Amino acid sequence: MENLALLWGIIGPGVSGAIFGAGWWFWVDAVVCSAVQVSFLHYLPGIFATLAALMFNCVNKDEIGYDYYSPYGDDSEWRVKLWLFVAYVVSFVCLAGSVGLLVQDALTNKGPSVWTGVAGVLQCVLVLISGLVYWTCHSED
Amino acid sequence: MALSRSMRTCLHSGRLALLAILVSSGIVLQILACALYNNWWPMLTVLMYLILPMPLIFFLGSDTSSIMSKEGDSWVNFTKFLTGASIVGSIAIPSILKHAGVIGWGALTMELSSFVVFGVAILWFLQMNSEDEYSGVF
Repeated sequence: MENLALLWGIIGPGVSGAIFGAGWWFWVDAVVCSAVQVSFLHYLPGIFATLAALMFNCVNKDEIGYDYYSPYGDDSEWRVKLWLFVAYVVSFVCLAGSVGLLVQDALTNKGPSVWTGVAGVLQCVLVLISGLVYWTCHSED
Repeated sequence: MALSRSMRTCLHSGRLALLAILVSSGIVLQILACALYNNWWPMLTVLMYLILPMPLIFFLGSDTSSIMSKEGDSWVNFTKFLTGASIVGSIAIPSILKHAGVIGWGALTMELSSFVVFGVAILWFLQMNSEDEYSGVF
C-alpha cells in the first residue's frame, strides 16, 4: 500500500487537474451546442463550485488537529472549522442548484435543452471531486 | 549484452531520430486535419498544445526531476494541476468542435491520433532521459 500512496503523491495533482478540466469543458460544450442563449443564472453553480473547491483547499490538514497551536491564540480552531463549514455549504447549495436547474430544463421546452442541465450537474460534481482529490494529495507533505 | 560504445551512441541517435519523426508526424497529422477538409477550426487545439508546456517552463525551470518525485513544494503540485487540465483541454477542443458540427469525423480522428502520437513521443522522451541518468553520458 505504500507504493500506492507514493504513486498518488506523484500523479494526484495531475489527475485532479484533469477532472477539473473535464468539468469545465463539459460546460463549454453545453453552452456552445445550446440552441438558445444560456442565461447567467445557469453559469452560477459552476462558478460557485469552483470557489468552494478553492476554499477548502486553503486549509491544511493538520490545522484541524486537536493539539494545534496557532499564533492567533489557543481557541482559534473555530475559524478553520467555520471556513470549512462555509465551503461545504456553498458546495451543497451549488449541487442542489444545478440539479434544480436540470429539472427545470427538462420540464419546459422553451428554455435551454436537457444537455445543458446535465452538463451543469456534471460540471458541479466533477469540479468538487477535483477539489477533494487535490486536497488529499497536496496535504501529504 | 554489452554493446560497444560506438554502437550505443549509434542506437541512441537512432532513437532520437525516431523521436523526431514521431513529433513531426504528429504535427503533420494536426495540419492535415485542417487542410484536407479546408476547415481551419481544429487549429484551436494548437493553442492547447502551446499552453501545455508553459507551467512546466515557468515553475520548474530546469528542475525536471521533481515531476516524478513525490516531494516538492506546492508550486510543483499546481504545475501538475495545470498540466492535467491542459491535457484534457487538448482532447476536449476537438470533441466540442465535432459535437457542435463544425468539423467532421475524419478531422476528429486525425486530431485525436495527433494527440496520441504527441503523448507517445513525450513519454518515450521522458523514459529515454531517465535511462540516460543511469548509464551516464558518453
